[in-house]
Amino acid sequence: MSTTTVQKTATKEGEDWQPLIITFCCNWCSYAGADLAGVSRLQMPTNFRVIRTMCSARVDPEFVLRAFSKGADGVLVLGCHPADCHYIGGNYRTRRRIALLRMLLEQYGFDPDRLKLEWVSASEGPKFQQTITDFVKEIKEIGPNPLKEDQVEEH
Amino acid sequence: MTNKVGAVMVVGGGISGVQAALDMADSGFKVYLVEKKASIGGTMAQLDKTFPTNDCSMCIMAPKLVAAGRHQNIELITNAEVEMIQGVPGDFMVTLKKNTLRVDEEKCTGCGECAIKCPIETSDEYNEGMKKRKAIYVMYPQAVPLVFCIDKNKCIGCGICHEECKAKAIVYDKKSEALEIPVGAVILCPGFEEFDARLKKEYGYGSYKNVVTSIEFERILSATGPFFGMVLRPSDGEVPKKVAFIQCVGSRDEKVGNTYCSSVCCMYAIKEAIIAGEHTEGLKPYIFFMDIRAVGKEFEDYRERAEKEYGITMYRGARVASVEEDPLTKNLTLRYSYEGESRSEDFDMVVLSVGLKPPEDADKLAKRLGIKLNKHGFCDTSIYDPLSTSRPGIFVSGAFAAPKDIPTSVAEASGVASKAGAIIAPARNTLVVKQSFPEEIAVEGQEPRIGVFVCHCGINIGGTVKVPKVVEYAKTLPSVVYAEENLYTCSSDAQERIKEKIKENNLNRVVVASCTPRTHEPLFQNTIKEAGLNTFLFEMANIRDQCSWIHMHEPEKATEKAKDLVRMAVAKSRLLEPLKTSRLEVNHAAVVIGGGLAGMTAALDIADQGFSVHLVEKTGHLGGYLAKLPLVEGGMKPKDHMDHLIKRIRESKNITVHLNNEVKDVTGFIGNFKVKLKDVELDAGTIIAATGGLEYKPTEYLYGQDPRVMTQLELEDKLAHKTFHGKNVVMIQCVGSRNEQVKYCSRICCAHAIKNAIEIKKQSPTTNVYVLHKDIRTYGFREDLYREAGQLGVNFLRFPEGTMPKLEKKGDNLEIVVPDVMLREDVLLKPDALVLSTGVRPNPDNVEIAKLMKVCGSKDGYFLEAHMKLRPVDFATEGIFLAGLAHWPKFIDEVIAQASGAAARAMTIISKDQLETEGIIAAVNDDVCNGCGICDPVCEYKAIVIVQDPSNPDKRKAVINEGLCKGCGACVAACPSGAMEQKGFKNDQMYAIIDAAFTGGK
Amino acid sequence: MAKIKIAQYWGAGCGGCDVALLDIDEKILGVAEIADIAFWPIAVDTKLKDVEAMPDGYITATLYNGAIRNSENEHVAKLLRKKSAIIVSFGSCACYGGVPGLANLTSAKEVLEYVYTKTPSSDQQGAKDPVFPQHETHTKYGDLELPVLYNTVKTLDQVIDVDYYMPGCPPTTNLINQFLGIVENHVKNGAPLPPKGAMIASNKTLCDECTRKKTVKQIDAVHSAFEVDIDPQKCMLEQGVICLGPATRAGCGAKCLEGNQPCRGCMGPTDQVQDQGGSMLSALASIYKVQDKETQMSEEDILKIMTQVKDPMGTFYCYTMPKSIIKRSVKERPRVKKEAAP
Repeated sequence: MSTTTVQKTATKEGEDWQPLIITFCCNWCSYAGADLAGVSRLQMPTNFRVIRTMCSARVDPEFVLRAFSKGADGVLVLGCHPADCHYIGGNYRTRRRIALLRMLLEQYGFDPDRLKLEWVSASEGPKFQQTITDFVKEIKEIGPNPLKEDQVEEH
Repeated sequence: MTNKVGAVMVVGGGISGVQAALDMADSGFKVYLVEKKASIGGTMAQLDKTFPTNDCSMCIMAPKLVAAGRHQNIELITNAEVEMIQGVPGDFMVTLKKNTLRVDEEKCTGCGECAIKCPIETSDEYNEGMKKRKAIYVMYPQAVPLVFCIDKNKCIGCGICHEECKAKAIVYDKKSEALEIPVGAVILCPGFEEFDARLKKEYGYGSYKNVVTSIEFERILSATGPFFGMVLRPSDGEVPKKVAFIQCVGSRDEKVGNTYCSSVCCMYAIKEAIIAGEHTEGLKPYIFFMDIRAVGKEFEDYRERAEKEYGITMYRGARVASVEEDPLTKNLTLRYSYEGESRSEDFDMVVLSVGLKPPEDADKLAKRLGIKLNKHGFCDTSIYDPLSTSRPGIFVSGAFAAPKDIPTSVAEASGVASKAGAIIAPARNTLVVKQSFPEEIAVEGQEPRIGVFVCHCGINIGGTVKVPKVVEYAKTLPSVVYAEENLYTCSSDAQERIKEKIKENNLNRVVVASCTPRTHEPLFQNTIKEAGLNTFLFEMANIRDQCSWIHMHEPEKATEKAKDLVRMAVAKSRLLEPLKTSRLEVNHAAVVIGGGLAGMTAALDIADQGFSVHLVEKTGHLGGYLAKLPLVEGGMKPKDHMDHLIKRIRESKNITVHLNNEVKDVTGFIGNFKVKLKDVELDAGTIIAATGGLEYKPTEYLYGQDPRVMTQLELEDKLAHKTFHGKNVVMIQCVGSRNEQVKYCSRICCAHAIKNAIEIKKQSPTTNVYVLHKDIRTYGFREDLYREAGQLGVNFLRFPEGTMPKLEKKGDNLEIVVPDVMLREDVLLKPDALVLSTGVRPNPDNVEIAKLMKVCGSKDGYFLEAHMKLRPVDFATEGIFLAGLAHWPKFIDEVIAQASGAAARAMTIISKDQLETEGIIAAVNDDVCNGCGICDPVCEYKAIVIVQDPSNPDKRKAVINEGLCKGCGACVAACPSGAMEQKGFKNDQMYAIIDAAFTGGK
Repeated sequence: MAKIKIAQYWGAGCGGCDVALLDIDEKILGVAEIADIAFWPIAVDTKLKDVEAMPDGYITATLYNGAIRNSENEHVAKLLRKKSAIIVSFGSCACYGGVPGLANLTSAKEVLEYVYTKTPSSDQQGAKDPVFPQHETHTKYGDLELPVLYNTVKTLDQVIDVDYYMPGCPPTTNLINQFLGIVENHVKNGAPLPPKGAMIASNKTLCDECTRKKTVKQIDAVHSAFEVDIDPQKCMLEQGVICLGPATRAGCGAKCLEGNQPCRGCMGPTDQVQDQGGSMLSALASIYKVQDKETQMSEEDILKIMTQVKDPMGTFYCYTMPKSIIKRSVKERPRVKKEAAP
């Protein structure tokens, strides 16, 4: 399958439109936080799919771009809080990369808010829930990934 | 010197016994794990959830049970009891009676066909009689070992099971046998029994159907329980609206003969109340209690959440006089006293929080083994030697020595492993076998053949996600050649199944869709390794914690999401490659940071097993806070114990003490740390952080401004020197604890205050002593102190949560005004001595030390262990452990037990000659790398060096030190040439999983 | 021995590639020895209809330079694909979109509007009804047709199957000679051709060819090349000047760096990298000195540091936008404020 093919799930403005969000979680804090949300039975929208990496610093900007190119409506990168990184300073790298990447996305014409970096620790189940809930809401406001719509315009 | 036997017997297969067995076995000793019942697991296996994290009990315990069951150096002997122990420490002969299961343990596959066909139903003990089982049965689905047994009292001998059993495992006339086993030491973990609630006739248990015990309620809450996790009334199956929990049933109760506090009931009741409310809509829990004893790590937060977030009604200081049943509705009327008045209230259901008592046969066991019991019938220990019984060479851990919670039991279990190991250290590695795995099947170049196993997790997943649909969907995915569903994919029979299916279908990749890889990946990896597959050919889809549990009300969407997650895991799995790990030499020395009680104990434990220890102390002397405890406690002055330890440390040839020193830098990794002090760099295989805590120095109540105001430590000093002359003493509890700034309970202040109060009364019976408190939290046997103080005339005055007594200085007089809950009015006291029970604070050095060691701190500033319940002395960072007040405030005996625990955990590392490296590390593609050096500064572990390419001196390239690489992948994302890859998370694997998130046919 | 037939075509590009082929000095004589030029609009007078008349596979090798910007580029590419045994994607524009590919930041409509109404040289500035080129124009002399300008610039391999790639803006003499040598050896001695899809370039990155001294790759600020005195001996990136060398395929001989200019990435990424820009962006963001105070830094502080990179798109995707993961700019709809879910 060529990388240009974008999943066409968008039903334009319809209320039924459900965004799909890729959530990268670092193994030690955020993934554990997500698990804790589960253990605590904190309910949240189903619109996200977690991809586990050992550290948020493994999240290559190319992964984020790839997710958008495939039709992700939003990408969340979750890592350990500053100073809490299991790998000492991985999250600082992530933070700088994501800042620069957001600038790039804006140049591409994307709403940079489609990409969000947030810190969620292993003990922050409720914060995971809140982050997901808020982000889903925000992406619903921003609307479907415009790449999906541009596909239609091209011949 | 007698001949030492390099084996140990652990008696009792609950969580404590299992942990002790694992730690001994991992340290090079042979272990015989003897369990009275047919399967190990103990009480924890019956629990639904654990406090304060609400972790699923079975979920966190199952991997340990399975690990014990499959450990090469642990031999499980179930259905067996100890008859006699002869010999001397290091060389015992234990006589066991192994009762027959009437089933051949070697042949039984645990398939359960026999139980399906068995015509006899009887009540199921595992479910506290609320469910039925057959006369041939296993205790519970995840049981280890998974062997069926015949209940000889119920079996009618019809022979159907014998007919049905394909494995020919039924042997009716199999005889019980006596075994004689030589061991060097014995560890007793027989656990406890619940108080028989029938003895509290006034609560009607046994005659009123809707009065249940807490352990019965635990089963009711469980997905595998009688109502599949719904809370229903036993009388009519209706959903109860109001459920009352009555605390201290069989605890703190002279009438029934149990004067001690059972320590765990407050917390488990809160937990059960929270979970009941969660499981069942419209259910309102009420808890009737005297004091809430939320003394453990983050317990107080849990209590607060229970009240504020979960709306649980707490009746503090309420004692329930009686329960009466309405014969028509089967509703229950509670009569109780609260805030000085008598009341009554109706409930739909009552849960009795039954206390813990010694095992029924403790007397006989003690006689047979030659050990002493204490006045409460528990195993007798001393606070300075909390893990030893009265007979040398026989040790005790867990609730047999005193009622205690799971983390304490687990820490103690590691601790006894240290104590027992010290006796037989010379015989280490003499009786163990090395774990051997079948030769690895070569999969390179083969088409992927993926097997997918989807777990129901009881109803945890299956109750929301339509598991059969997920299985059907998995079968349609490319490269998937086999898919099936399991009730519990983690159970030991499922492991066998996975192995079978790998063989049958020539699977070369396995995907399990169940819970989280954080807890269960190692289990499944080991399983596929046993089937000959490289452990890294395994992938997990988290469809429980991150799907069914968080989308409970959207089964359709959750099912779709589960399919997506399986598709993503399969997509990545298709590209997985076998990874090789290598072996690293281990340094056999340990560094212990902190020269207080915990540090000294841990250092001595390690030295006693023949390893060298560096003990690093910031101040100029060892001893820590012990020096400040001059009053006799547990028959001895803590200070004398300190002197004894210091003397032993001086005499030990294995311990080097570094006074006035501190850790400046820590580099390296498990097995090979370099710890830099001010003046010297130490090599060590492991590190223990025992940095202690601090006494809170109050700023309130005129402390430091008025000489009559003092802390408990200062009072203790005066009492010891007989210089205290107060006549009207007021003690205020929770100064600097349980307030807005510091929410936690400091655990030790209540008992400390009462100890001093008793001493005052002993020195001067006419002195008035008032203890002002919110709760008195003298848990365990310290409850006896509370009672003694009461008998000596110490006045206890309870003020409400959220308030504090007020101090005013009227002229030269101190005046205390305190709102008394019982009198429901303010009381005025005019003390001539005001003693503040100040809390414990974390050592501020922890922040820096945590950074150096790359470990985490908890939200309250203490160190954060790897898992609150089951890894209480481990850090998440491998090779580093914690003990003492650095972990949480605790008493002397608890510090000692925990320090021994940390020592034992540390010795599981340094007793080995080699460790295996991580599989998930960075790797350089030499064909692409040109040594540009971008990766070098990105690595926090200094694991990357840029070297000259040996084949071409003009060129450069990056080289990874596999021992240092932690596998974070930061360098991989930074590498601009694409030369760097992270094994197990390679770019193409990551793209595959990302892409697969979108290719759903929705 | 019959001579082979070669062709060269100029799609959306600057013409530099055609010149580059002429720039191989006396080697061009060697080409003439083994090859006839079947089609090369800049050099010989073959018409498109002549090509159409050729049998399929008639041309041994076509070097196609320039991106696919309009319908004519695509039409000729497809025609040449049919008529050629081997197609070489020649130069950065054909391989990655090149500089014309930056037009993907805007749309065809915007480009035309700008060119025909806003450029200083346009006499339609401020015109009421400006005239734009039309695809079809009907005149009394007949119907005229202009190629359609595409909204999105594409690489050659996004419209036809490509056999070999030779990146570079333009490809250097070395690389061209390397390729001609391969072809010559194949024709004369029957030596095997490289596998399909091969890059006629190195698969290491430029640092491999760059002779500057490298020490520690850590920076605390980013500078434009004109802002600083660049030490010609030291690694460009280590001096804070963004050089795409670490993310760019070698093969050019590091000519820009010899001229004391940073690499801008015309050779594109290595085989292992999907997105040159993203890869360099990540590398650059990674090598800022981790300072102790980073713990306390706010998101704004970090953003301030990162905005030192003035134009991430132009910096990191100067040559490779159409071949990047996202490929072109997008347009967001306006946000719709939604009430919180009940």
